[in-house]
Amino acid sequence: MSNVIEQIEQQIAKLSTKAVKKNTGHIRTVADGVAKVDGLSDVMYNEMVQFPGGTIGIALNLEQDEVGCVVLGDVSQLKEGDEVTTTGKLLSVPVGRALLGRVVDALGRPIDGKGPIASTETYPVEKIAPGVMARKSVSQPLFTGIMAIDSMIPIGRGQRELIIGDRGTGKTTICLDTIINQARINKVGLASGDKNFRPVYSIYVAVGQKQSNVVRTISALEAADALQFTTIVAATAGDNPANQYIAPFSGAAIGEWFMENGMDALIVYDDLSKHAVAYRQISLILKRPSGREAYPGDVFYLHSRLLERAARLDGKGSLTALPVIETQAGDVSAYIPTNVISITDGQIFLETDLFNQGIRPAVSVGLSVSRVGSAAQIKVTKQVGGKLKGELAQFRELAAFAQFGSDLDAKTKATLDRGSRIVELFKQPQLNPLAIEVQAAVLWALQKNYFDSIDVKQIVTAANSLRDFLITRKSELLTTVRTKAALSPEIEVDLKAAAEEWKATFSAK
Amino acid sequence: MAADKKTKVLARQLFKLSLADGQVSAEKVSGVLGWVDKHEPRQPLALLKLYQNLIATELSRLNAVVTHAGPLAATALGQIEQALTKKYQRRITATARPDAKLLAGLRVHIGDDVYESSASSQLAALSV
Repeated sequence: MSNVIEQIEQQIAKLSTKAVKKNTGHIRTVADGVAKVDGLSDVMYNEMVQFPGGTIGIALNLEQDEVGCVVLGDVSQLKEGDEVTTTGKLLSVPVGRALLGRVVDALGRPIDGKGPIASTETYPVEKIAPGVMARKSVSQPLFTGIMAIDSMIPIGRGQRELIIGDRGTGKTTICLDTIINQARINKVGLASGDKNFRPVYSIYVAVGQKQSNVVRTISALEAADALQFTTIVAATAGDNPANQYIAPFSGAAIGEWFMENGMDALIVYDDLSKHAVAYRQISLILKRPSGREAYPGDVFYLHSRLLERAARLDGKGSLTALPVIETQAGDVSAYIPTNVISITDGQIFLETDLFNQGIRPAVSVGLSVSRVGSAAQIKVTKQVGGKLKGELAQFRELAAFAQFGSDLDAKTKATLDRGSRIVELFKQPQLNPLAIEVQAAVLWALQKNYFDSIDVKQIVTAANSLRDFLITRKSELLTTVRTKAALSPEIEVDLKAAAEEWKATFSAK
Repeated sequence: MAADKKTKVLARQLFKLSLADGQVSAEKVSGVLGWVDKHEPRQPLALLKLYQNLIATELSRLNAVVTHAGPLAATALGQIEQALTKKYQRRITATARPDAKLLAGLRVHIGDDVYESSASSQLAALSV
C-alpha cells in the first residue's frame, strides 16, 4: 500500500515542479480605466488578462506595438511597469439556477451580501448568436400583465421588443411589471402541477443607473415576491465604463444558460443609451476612430450582436429581450434609438404628453408596434382585443380634429366616446400586472358595451370593480378562460351572466 | 511628448536597418545613431526611445534571463539554452540572475514569455 502512496506522491511532485508558461507584458500607461500594455504578443482579442492584485482586464485593441486593455476593477493600484499576464481564457461569468434571487456585478460576483454563489458552470460573455437553422419562429406569448400591451402590442417568447421614451415616462415600470407578472404566472403554473408549464426566469441588467434606483428595483421585486425568479446584474453609474460595457453581455450569458437548457428567460437591458455612452467613452480612450455623435463605427454591431442573442431555439428554450432606450425630447430619430429600433422586432413608445395627462402606462398606440403581431397572442385576446388598436388610432386622429369643431356627426361622436372609454380602461397602476384571463374578461365586457352607460370619469373605478368582482366571485370562470385560452359559446354565456350580475351591483352603488 | 505616426514609422525603419542576418548588429546600430545625430530628425527624443524599445525587445527575444534562487549549475544554463534554441528555432543565449525572492526553483524570461517554476509563484497562486 505504501508503494501506491509513493507513486501518488511522485505524481504530485512531478506536477508541482512543472514549469508554467505565461505570456507577459508591462503597463506603459493607465488612464481612465484603460491600460496600454507592451508585450503580450500571444494575447487574443477579448481575452482576459491578469493585472497585479488579481484585477482583471480585457484585451480590446491589438495594435502593432501595444495592447489596449480595459480594466474591470480598481485601477488606482496599477502603475507603469507592472507585469500583465495573459490567461488564455475569454471573459466568462457564472451561470445557472444558483443565480436566481441574487444581485451580481458585471463579472457575476455577488454584491448582495448573501454569500458566494454555488454555481459550477460558466458561460463566455461574448458569444456568437444562434444561427438561422437553430431558431424557431416566435409563437408563444409572454404576458406583460399590462392590458394595453398584451392586447395591442403582444410580445412573444424569443422576441426583442424595445421600450423607448423620454426620462420619467415609465419605461422601467413596464419592465418591472413584466418581471413581476412572470413571477406571478410561474407561481400559479408551478402550483398547478401542469407538466407542460414552462416558467419564465428573468434577468434585469442595470447599466449606468443610480445606485438608489437599483435599490428601489430590488425592493420592488422583493415586495412582489418576484426576486426568487430573477437575477439582477448591476453596473451602476459609479462603476467604471468597462463594467457598464460588459454588464449586458454578462446578463445575456446568464440568460443563454436558461435558453440552452430548455427553459424560457426574459432579459431587460435598462438601458442601452447609457450602454452606448459607456462604450463611446472606452472607444475614445482607446483612440478608435469616432463617427456620428462621437460614437465609434461599431456601435450598431455592439447592440446588434447583443440583441441577436435573444432567440427561440428549436427543441430548446427561449430568451426574450426588452431593451430600454431613453430619448431626448421624444426624438426617436436620434442615432442610438434608430439603431436599436431597426434591430428589434418592435417597439413600445412612451409619450411624455400622455404621461402628464395621467394616461399610465403612457403607451403611444400610433408609434408602438410588435412585428411578431398576433402570432404571439392567445385566441381569447385576439377575440376580445383584435379591433382595439384600430379603434384607438381612429380616436386619436378624430380627437385632434374634434378640438377645432363643435358640430360633430353621430358616428364621430360615437368613435370619440368609445375611444375615450378604451383610454380610461387601459389606465393601470404601476407594479400591478393583470392576469391574462382578467384582461380578457374586462375587454370582453368592453366589446359587449357593458361600459357604455357608465360615465367616462367612472370607467377606471368600474373596471377596478369588475376585476375585483371577477377575482373574488368568479375565480372558476377565470380559471376556465385561462385554461381554454379561447372564448367558446358556453364561456360567453357565463361571462354574460357574470357581467350582468356585476353591472347590477355596480349600478346600485 | 508622445511620438507621432511619422516618428513611429521612422523608428521601425531604423530598427530594420539595424539588423544583419535577422539579428541586431552593433555596427549597424552605431551607424543608425550616427545618422540620427547628423540629420536631427523631428522628435529626436521620442524617436530614440522608440528605437531603444524595439532593439531591447528584439534582444530580449534572443537572450533568456534565468532568475534562480540558490546555486545554478553551469550545465543547467547550457541545457536551458539548448532547449530554448530548439523550441524557438533561433540561437538563444542564457544569462543567470540570482534572486532570493523566488525561495526555490527557476523563472526563465524570454521575450514576452515567462516559464515559471518557482516556489514563490506557487505560493502566490495558493494565496489567490
